[in-house]
Formats: sequence, structure tokens, C-alpha cells
Amino acid sequence: RIWKRAPDGAWHCSDVLEGVHESTVRSCAWSPDGKLLADASFDGTTAIWEYSGGDFELVDTLEGHVNEVKSVSWSQSGSMVATCSRDRAAWIWEILPGNDHECVDVLEGHTEDVKMVQWHPFFDVLVSVSYDNTIRVWADDGDGKWPCVQTLTEAGNSGHSSTVWSISFNQKGDRMVTCSDDCTLKIWDASIDLSQPTTGEGHESWRHISTLSGYHGRTIFSVHWSSEGVIASGAGDDAICLFAEENSMVEGPSYRLILKKEKAHDTDVNCVRWCPQNPRVLASVSDDGTVKLWELQGDILD
Amino acid sequence: MDFLEPMIALDETHYQDGYKDGYDDGMVSGKEEGRQVGLKLGFQVGEELGFYQGCLDVWMSIIRLDQGAFSARVRKYMEQLAALLSNYPLSDPENNLQDMMKEIRLKFRVITGSLGAKLGSARKCAAPGIMEDTWSSVSNNHLKSLQLEKILESCYFLSL
Repeated sequence: RIWKRAPDGAWHCSDVLEGVHESTVRSCAWSPDGKLLADASFDGTTAIWEYSGGDFELVDTLEGHVNEVKSVSWSQSGSMVATCSRDRAAWIWEILPGNDHECVDVLEGHTEDVKMVQWHPFFDVLVSVSYDNTIRVWADDGDGKWPCVQTLTEAGNSGHSSTVWSISFNQKGDRMVTCSDDCTLKIWDASIDLSQPTTGEGHESWRHISTLSGYHGRTIFSVHWSSEGVIASGAGDDAICLFAEENSMVEGPSYRLILKKEKAHDTDVNCVRWCPQNPRVLASVSDDGTVKLWELQGDILD
Repeated sequence: MDFLEPMIALDETHYQDGYKDGYDDGMVSGKEEGRQVGLKLGFQVGEELGFYQGCLDVWMSIIRLDQGAFSARVRKYMEQLAALLSNYPLSDPENNLQDMMKEIRLKFRVITGSLGAKLGSARKCAAPGIMEDTWSSVSNNHLKSLQLEKILESCYFLSL
């Protein structure tokens, strides 16, 4: 459903895009130029819609996954789309003129359902998170293939101990936050461009900075980093938490809770997203069937 | 104690005789069952591989008629699929057959996934049935072969 805000501030549903998918549409993403919308469906396909002349039109369908597509993400240039699925793979597609597309590569490595994919805001690097508890980073090897250049695990990298559901980069692209069924959020240093070949012995990698635990009592399903540096998280405990980064010269970055909105919804909060235009406005959705818009003013979220 | 020995020995011989009879019978029926299963599985594999080869033959003909019909990337994928198909050991079964089949299926999906718009209208009217049926049969085949594997395993045990 497409929602538009009227001049008086009220939101209404302007369009319903239907008749294409045969099953749940799990997630969707706007292209960077805002002209296209990609949606990921449990029927295994990803539909691309074009918004022109006030109407949405189906212009392309990406088929390739064997079962449910969980997430879709546009690269910063808008030329590539990444999708991931329960079939344990992530696909990278090149979007070509004339509503055409080609498969660039199939990224295999996860041993379980891949929950989400997200492009780095600047580097030619893709991150995927999975039911197998790991976070994988994939980069262009210059030869048309995208091998996995790093895997962040529980044992090796202070990674998550259960399903990783969501991932978000900060605006600068030097930090990444992930959230998990283990009820924690983890912040990672993502400042190194893993798409560049490393010379010499030392293999540079993204490393764990901080773990935020004890804030949610249930699986944290979604996390999103605003352009003002506020991290929002939504969880199965029906609450939304907001965190801010603090940088101390001595100890490095740390994160403190700004507020926790208990009972933000009647039940599980499935997704939280900051408004691109207004970094104080947050949207949240839930199994209770509602979409709620919040505004952060000082210490209050309403 | 001597008078007991023949009795124990008799028990043992009866056992051995029974075992041998069972073994021989099992060998015969096991081999036959294995042959049936092998025929069925072999047909399915052949059918699937034949389908991919057929598609490749059509695509190659198209390329011969029109070099620019497919992009360089898609042509490369087709060449890779051709190589994978010719590498598949039809006569001498090796161990990693499942992996090779998975690779072939994936490569085929990547190609058809990249042909979407170009063959768009053609795909939707001419060969949609084939493509869609292939999808379900490909995934079903995989499941069926897993079950057949189990039957094959048990046949193997019987024939030992």
C-alpha cells in the first residue's frame, strides 16, 4: 500500500498494488531516485513498479529464487538490486534500461534462511544477515563475481548467538548496527572498504564495537539508523527503543538508551524506519496491523 | 561335555544355513529392486539434463542467427552451462552428483532469470507451460531423488 500525506497532515492510502504476487509481500524498497519500487514476495519473485503520471505500473519481475524472498535492497547508484531468500542465497541483479535486468551473481554461503540484505551507502559492498546467526559481507572482485569477503560469527567476531534479523548503516557509512533473536543490538566498525584488495599480510576486517543488551526482552526484529545518528529498534516485546552514540576520546564510541517506548504497539513490532525527509519522524509497523508515525521531541517519542 | 558339543554345533549350523539362504535371497531381490530404482532415477536425471541441453541447443541456434540476441554476460552463462552439462558423468556415476546437479539447476535459473524481459512476451505465451512445469518438476525431482537415495542406500546394504 502506498500512503500519501495530504496538505492537512493526514495520511491516507492512495494506492494498493495488487494482483501480481501470489503470496505475502514481505518487504519493499524505493530506488534511490524514487521512481521505482521493488517488492519482495513469498512467491519467490521480486516485482519492480514504476511510479509515473500518478500511477504505479508493474514494469519488471525478478525471478530466480526458489522460495520466499525476504528482503530487497537498491544499491546507491540504483543500477543494482539485491534480494535474499529462504533458499539461503542472495542474488544481485543489474537493472538495465528498457525495464530489463540480468543476474550478476548468486551469493551462496549462508547455511540458513537469509533474512535481510543491505548495500553499503558508499562502497560496492553488500551485507546479508541470516538465521544461521552470521553476518556476511560480499564485494565485487572486479571480475563480475561477488565472493564473501568477511563472515562475522559469534565465536570469531563477538557476533550474535541467534538469528540476525536486520541491519542498518549510519549515514556516514562507517558504522553498522545489527539486531537479533538473541535480544541484543550490535554495533560494528564498517569503515574499511572491503571491496578494495588488501595487500600484505594483515587482512583488514570489520570489527565489533559494542553490544547493547538488556533493553528488549524478546527478539529484536528491526533496527534503523537515522541521519542524525539515532538508532531505533523494534522488537517482539512490543517496544521501540532509541539509542544515541557518544564518542569519548579515551574509550571510543559508546551507545546509551535515549528512551524505551513500552507498548508502542499491541504486539510484535516488525519494522521501524526513520523518515528520509525528517530525521525525527519514525514509522513503525506491527503484527497488530497498524502503521504508526512517531516524532522524537527531546526525550519524548509520540 | 563332549556329548553337548554336537547339539551346540547343530544350533550353529542351522543358524548359518538360515543366514546363507536369507542372504542369497536378499541378494537377488535387492539387486532387482536396485535395478528398478536405478532405471527410474536414471530416466529422471536424463530427462532433466536433456531438457537443459535442449534449451541450450535452441539458444545456440539463436546466437548463430543473431549474435546480439543475448548480452555478453548471458552468453557467458550459457557457455558455462554447456560446460557443466558436458562434465556431468552419465556413464560413470561419481560421488558428487547432487552437487553437480544443483550447480546446473542454478546456472539454468540464472540464465532464465536474466532472459526475462527479452523473451518476455515469447516466454509468457509460447513456452510458459514448459518453464513453469520445469520449475516444479526441478524442485520435485530434487525431493524425489532424496527419497530415492534412501532406498538406494538400503539396497546397497542388502547387496553387501
